[in-house]
Amino acid sequence: MSRQTRVAYAFLAPGLLLFATYRLYPLLEGLRLSFTNARLGRPTQQWVGLANYARLLEDTRFQVSLWNTAFYTVASTLPILAVPLVLALALNRGRLKNLLRSVFFFPFTLSVVTVGLAWLWLLDPVVGPFNYYLRALGAPARSWLADPHTAMWAIILTTVWWVTGYYLVVYLAGLQDIPRELYEAAALDGASGGRAFWAITLPLLRPVLLFVVVTHVIGSFQLFGQVFVLTGGGPGDATRTVVQHLYETAFQNFFQFGSASAMAWVLFAVILAFSLLQFRLLRGHTEY
Amino acid sequence: MARAGRPLDRQRWALTAALLALAVLWLSPIAWVVVTSLKPSADIIRLPPEWIPWPATLTHYHEVLLGSSRTARIGRAFANSLVVATGSVLVVLATSAMAAYPLARMRFPGRDLVFVVLVGSLMIPNAVLLVPQYVLTQRLGWLSTYQGLIVPEAAMLFAFGVFLLRQFFLTMPRELEDAALIDGAGPWQVFSRIILPLSQPVLAALAIFAFRSAWNDFLWPLIAVNKPEMFPLPVALALLRSAYSSESYGPIMAGAALSALPLLVVFVVANRRIVEGVRLSGLKG
Amino acid sequence: MSGHGNGVAGGERNGGSGAPSGARRPGVSRRAFVAGAGAAGVAAWARGAAAQPKATITYWNGLTGADGKVMDELIDQFTRDSGIRIEQQRLPWVDLYAKLQVAVPAGEGPDLALIHTVEVPHFASDGVLEVIDDATAAGKGFRGEDYLPAMWQGGTFQGKRYSLPLDVPQHILYMNLKVMKDAGLTGSDGRPRVPTGRDELVTMAKRIAAKADTFGFAIGTVGPGRYTWGFHNLLWQNGANVYAPDLKKAGVADPAALEVAEFWAALEGQLKIAPPANANCRDAFIAGKLGMWIAGSWNFTGLREAKVEFVAVPVPRLFKQAVVWAMPHQYAFPKPKAADRAKRDAAWAHVRWMTDHVAEWTLKAGQVSASRKAHSDPRVTADPVLRALLSQAPSWQVGQPTPKWVAAENLTRPVIEAVYTGQKPARAAMEDLARQINALPD
Repeated sequence: MSRQTRVAYAFLAPGLLLFATYRLYPLLEGLRLSFTNARLGRPTQQWVGLANYARLLEDTRFQVSLWNTAFYTVASTLPILAVPLVLALALNRGRLKNLLRSVFFFPFTLSVVTVGLAWLWLLDPVVGPFNYYLRALGAPARSWLADPHTAMWAIILTTVWWVTGYYLVVYLAGLQDIPRELYEAAALDGASGGRAFWAITLPLLRPVLLFVVVTHVIGSFQLFGQVFVLTGGGPGDATRTVVQHLYETAFQNFFQFGSASAMAWVLFAVILAFSLLQFRLLRGHTEY
Repeated sequence: MARAGRPLDRQRWALTAALLALAVLWLSPIAWVVVTSLKPSADIIRLPPEWIPWPATLTHYHEVLLGSSRTARIGRAFANSLVVATGSVLVVLATSAMAAYPLARMRFPGRDLVFVVLVGSLMIPNAVLLVPQYVLTQRLGWLSTYQGLIVPEAAMLFAFGVFLLRQFFLTMPRELEDAALIDGAGPWQVFSRIILPLSQPVLAALAIFAFRSAWNDFLWPLIAVNKPEMFPLPVALALLRSAYSSESYGPIMAGAALSALPLLVVFVVANRRIVEGVRLSGLKG
Repeated sequence: MSGHGNGVAGGERNGGSGAPSGARRPGVSRRAFVAGAGAAGVAAWARGAAAQPKATITYWNGLTGADGKVMDELIDQFTRDSGIRIEQQRLPWVDLYAKLQVAVPAGEGPDLALIHTVEVPHFASDGVLEVIDDATAAGKGFRGEDYLPAMWQGGTFQGKRYSLPLDVPQHILYMNLKVMKDAGLTGSDGRPRVPTGRDELVTMAKRIAAKADTFGFAIGTVGPGRYTWGFHNLLWQNGANVYAPDLKKAGVADPAALEVAEFWAALEGQLKIAPPANANCRDAFIAGKLGMWIAGSWNFTGLREAKVEFVAVPVPRLFKQAVVWAMPHQYAFPKPKAADRAKRDAAWAHVRWMTDHVAEWTLKAGQVSASRKAHSDPRVTADPVLRALLSQAPSWQVGQPTPKWVAAENLTRPVIEAVYTGQKPARAAMEDLARQINALPD
């Protein structure tokens, strides 16, 4: 082993140890656990093959959770993509860009619990201000978090409010990288405004869009905190998510680590599939 | 361009005004939290909603920080979060920087494999690791301890940190390092005396990112801490919400407002760094 | 480097120095002898006092209502009286139980825990709690005769005792005087009409709800849709229960239970008398937006603090029997990693002290005591709400003593919420719940 190799690995050692212990090993161990009937407090585990996975096929609550989570991911993708983009474009054209950027970014610095608590209070069906103002405006007001048709949308609204600032900054950086000459050239050709957007902005933002979507998908499928605070999975199971089901299976009701690990790997597979799909859709045909 | 831009200017100001109005609306949930936390309990549930707490009171803050009620050990949770977040930042900065240096500057067998594995690991959702991490932490005897929170958090941020820092190191001109090496400096000296000092911007950005992630982490501490006095802030807050269901929102909102404080400070002070960090992480994703 | 920053062991009072050896030279003078003896006596007394280190014990409970503050006060008083410090931790009940389940086997559990009677079976069978043998209990002054029989029995499982009862949290019907008056439901004496049956309740509630933004009737503190304790109360009133009497099969799909579920389903959607499933009923009641409210007795001291004008009357008979849901609190000793005599004694001392002072607890926290002695305390009988609570004693019913009770309850919560919001029809939901409950592993 050459000296440089030894030096390199000496530098890498602490981080790699950390990584191997707490990321790689758990990944593989989780897979192994999913094939056992491990349970908290039970000292011995037995290999049960695919039994945990098979049981998931009958676990209607797991299926509901998966469906809810997928619904949330898909339904929130457009708002998450579009709202920050529109804001970014508007901020670029207006003034006070830095101040406005800071204001919109601020919610992102809050923890998911704080965000949840703020909106829980806002949306309180009896004494919360949101409904009060809706009624004052003559709009229908209902218990958004307790109505199974609107609960997930209320959670999406909360999330959009929370993360828009982050994606706004990403978009602003991306927009900044587009050379102005392109717009000026297009203007000379008579194309401006809307056409310029579709012909120049959007295609050149494609890598950024891809980043936003993939990041969003990975995050959305692990939705937990907002639901925990806002609805607890309710009403009924209308907002129950996979991670919540996992959490309850492993750490609340039955402490069944084997089953929970199987759930986690199914989730992983679904996320991978979705991400690959997004990749394909958005990679599409690149001109440049 | 000045005179000819007048109608355009007016349009810009109109747009800005609209955005300002939206911004005020955007901040209203936070404003409502703070306002509620300062209202006496009787005023909290009064309608129509009053946006100015008058009379204002600090009783909820007192209750939540110093009160005899043991439900809300927010003060203690605050300190816990501070320790965990700071510890995580230090560990991540140290390990990521040390790992990114050879990946950016040296040639050795396995270099590309290591990098690919690290980048690939960014796709692993944390939920997948939850249960085995818990078992590992239990076996190490680290449940309900600071290291049980710091080490997993740092491990989670490590790959991202390496990615970010390697990116940055690659853009640094080699001349300074080469000069130092010719002068007989060893790799550690090059790293610590040249690379690190010049990397302050990206280190700061990573530190802020890591601090935010560690400060706001919720699910892991929820399961990995069984002693209520060791709960970090988000967990204490979440349980506070259920705990005060029979009382009013005052203390809960006070707790929420307090939890937002440190990052608000960081945010106000280091605004640009945060934006830099997001830029750096976002563009090459 | 554990995170135990807070634990400060009660300082050992370092009394006198070692006893002087007195006679060092032969023929010690009398004065020296007396001085020596005196000093020896002082030292012995000091060492005797120093030989009792005051333990600090950890104590977990879920008293998240207004009674939590009262517990804090009483604990402070206990510490002043006994010198024993208590590190109290409070978590919402559901989280408390989950943490106990995980912490105790890992040796991180508390020295003392306050739990509910229905938790005793599963904690006992999981080995989380220590057995309290009758001799020890009697030795500390706890005798069955002092308690109501149902309460005394509640702390046992399969013939062994695991806990000692403290009090009897129960349901009661609160009525907001202003709301009732505005709806024209108060008599000339200012007292509101008390419904005697389901139909009358619904009629009265409809009248109250005729006013905009006001609700006539609700069960539960926060989140009435998923308030299993209220659902159980109604089940028991109709002679139904979660499990059939053999405690093996689920009983939630039985006709009597279905009748209750239908009523539950109608409350918000059809009859339009109840608030949304996630409403904060307590806030609504205080804000004058809720007229009749069946909720826990632990709420009433908080209502008084909020200066709401209300009366509390016994829970009406809405179905076949006038049953009142009760869920006694029990003191239990989680199994420690290593037996610590000092801590266990300190924990016993606290339980003894609280039992002796339970009248204070009743008066300030509104929880009727499990022991009979405090029932005749004149301060207790002078309070109209406490009198109403005591009067419900013959109708108290508690959860079934099966280790699967809590798991079944966790399953019930989202199902009854789905019924409340109209997501699922009552029959289908209850049948599904029965299936889920029957599928619970042993």
